[in-house]
Amino acid sequence: MANSGSRDLILQRIREGLKTQVPVPPPMSDEAVIFPPVEDPMARFQQECKANLMELTLTNDAGASAQQIAGILSSLPEGEIYVQDAPFLRQLMQTVATVRTVHWSSEGAPRESAQATISLAEALVAQTGSVFVTAACGGRGISVVAPCHIVFATTSQLVPDLKTALGSATRKGILHNNSFACMISGSSRTADIEKILVQGAHGPVRLAVVLQAGN
Amino acid sequence: MSTGTTPKPGQGAPTPQNAEAHDTGRSAASNARGNLSNAQRFLLDAAEKSVDMVHREIIRKGMDSYDVAHAKGRTRFAFWDAARQRCQEIKREAVNHLDQYLLEFEKNVIAHGGHVFWAATSEEACQYIADLAVKHSVKTVVKSKSMVTEEIHLAGALEKVGCTVWETDLGEYIVQLRNEGPYHIVTPAMHLNRKQIGDLFRDKFDEPNLSDDPQELVAAARRKLRKAFFAAEMGISGANFLVADAGCIAISTNEGNGRLSTGVPRIHVAVTGIEKMIPKLEDLATLWPVLATSGTGQPITTYGSLIGGPRRPGEADGPEEFHVVLVDNGRSSLLASKEEREVLHCIRCGACLNICPVFRHIGGHSYGTPYPGPIGSVLVPRLEGEKFEHLSSASTLCGACTSVCPVKIDLHHHLLENRRDFTEAGHVSAGERFQFKMFKTAMVNPSLYKVGGWFMRKSLRLLYSLGLSGSVLDPLRPWNKGRSTIPLAKQSFRAIWKKELDHGE
Repeated sequence: MANSGSRDLILQRIREGLKTQVPVPPPMSDEAVIFPPVEDPMARFQQECKANLMELTLTNDAGASAQQIAGILSSLPEGEIYVQDAPFLRQLMQTVATVRTVHWSSEGAPRESAQATISLAEALVAQTGSVFVTAACGGRGISVVAPCHIVFATTSQLVPDLKTALGSATRKGILHNNSFACMISGSSRTADIEKILVQGAHGPVRLAVVLQAGN
Repeated sequence: MSTGTTPKPGQGAPTPQNAEAHDTGRSAASNARGNLSNAQRFLLDAAEKSVDMVHREIIRKGMDSYDVAHAKGRTRFAFWDAARQRCQEIKREAVNHLDQYLLEFEKNVIAHGGHVFWAATSEEACQYIADLAVKHSVKTVVKSKSMVTEEIHLAGALEKVGCTVWETDLGEYIVQLRNEGPYHIVTPAMHLNRKQIGDLFRDKFDEPNLSDDPQELVAAARRKLRKAFFAAEMGISGANFLVADAGCIAISTNEGNGRLSTGVPRIHVAVTGIEKMIPKLEDLATLWPVLATSGTGQPITTYGSLIGGPRRPGEADGPEEFHVVLVDNGRSSLLASKEEREVLHCIRCGACLNICPVFRHIGGHSYGTPYPGPIGSVLVPRLEGEKFEHLSSASTLCGACTSVCPVKIDLHHHLLENRRDFTEAGHVSAGERFQFKMFKTAMVNPSLYKVGGWFMRKSLRLLYSLGLSGSVLDPLRPWNKGRSTIPLAKQSFRAIWKKELDHGE
């Protein structure tokens, strides 16, 4: 390593400093309640999505989902769309009625000109109304580059809280198998001017979740 | 930035947007203050800001809306205090075993194909990143918000090697256009209202028809920065957390600029303090909501990004290189102190700034460091040394900061400990030592105190009746010169006490 000198120096300083014993009080019980339990994940997810200014639609089958996605696409200005290259989305896109040019994530990064992106998710989190995506869900840009990001997910992917989602990510080694993951809780926003909320800062103005029953 | 009143180094260099960087009132004033010590300049800046009614109104409005959001945000927790304690425990565990967790983190990042650079000093960190930029012929750099990069003056170092550096967080971008440092660690432009920002954009962007509507201003900045994101060869970010077991950095952003900065350019460099470590990915289940609630009142920040390495084979996009620069810059020296070690638990949420009555009056720039407010007044004198020691006195010791800290840092006691240590180290003026000697002599000698008190009451009353309050003759001049005169008691406390006792009998 190029700078092993500083590396050793910093580690040595840290170890030297840590020789000072600082008493550690007994930890809080693991059972301590920090967040109110999520009783009904579906109801909570709906409620939090609303609070996060996301668009959530529940569908019963692939046909209804395709129709829903087509509806969102038809409301957008002209331009190409960028879709995660996954067998399910390939299939779905065949039934989505659209005249737009489709670029697939297997063909490279999304272009700045993309009007919408469509991806799957790793999990949905009820507690915070979040969509958890990884690099395997079409990469990094897919969830941030276009003005509209559409997420397709199934109800079996819904977990009650962050602890469950992150615990499962650890067990699956998500961050060892992907260079990137992101907990997305709403559309891009800023309140840097007079603390006034403005949607659509650098990322999507719209985050739409199409949630299909089943798995 | 060595002082808040001089322009940020390097930011005056020609970039597309600030080629004719205008002199703000602040930097113009600072020229006249060139010969003053840091402490004297602090007093002048603070006095000036605290009577600036426009500033006061902007900050009051901003803090009021934060207060409401923060209070509401806390109600989402079953027990806010339990959440704070859990966060304290997580950070304590990480800091108490910092060497082990740093090594675990390093091992994992390297296994993911990333690079880890250990920088003992600011210079070393800047050198490494500037060398990277030169090696890859980087012309354009996009930065997301990072106070560590302010601390080490990274933008200046990159501009020296010919890079154009774009701040992409909206607030940071605004202060960059004004040639200022950030005002606040979470909301860097909170000292400006929409009119001031509108004027700035109309001037800099050559868009004379832009209105003051925040929506329109945000859209204008988006258009400008969009080009930079897709032109940049290097993206620089900070990190809110370094996750040891997952071997990734965690970055919380609302705007999405952090995501574009780290996802679009060919090279991503994350610059972070060594103390940002946490042991487990699962720890974020508590830390994310607590950070968001303390920072802005949100239940969770919009984007909680986790980045562990460069683009993998089979991934659609992402940078070819990922570098983490671990900055020590004096942090490790705090570990050896029983009292001060916990200062390294700070997660930079800004809650202590927001509640601090001193911050609310003197504003962020007066402190003259990228870390203003109580945490800065604790930390900066320890990291930067004597020229910032005066900040430890920039507090009323009311303890409001301690009461809101999400990792339960005992901030106001640390301020007191700083003062004690600096006094013991002899960093006190001869005048102050003399005054305290006199004070002590009077305090341990009741009759002397009595005579002294009588004399002061008489002489001050005379002085004030002659209209000399706040003059050089007034021992209370530092207070009285800018304010209405402190009213003098008619009787001494001793007299009142005696009278009350007599009544009691």
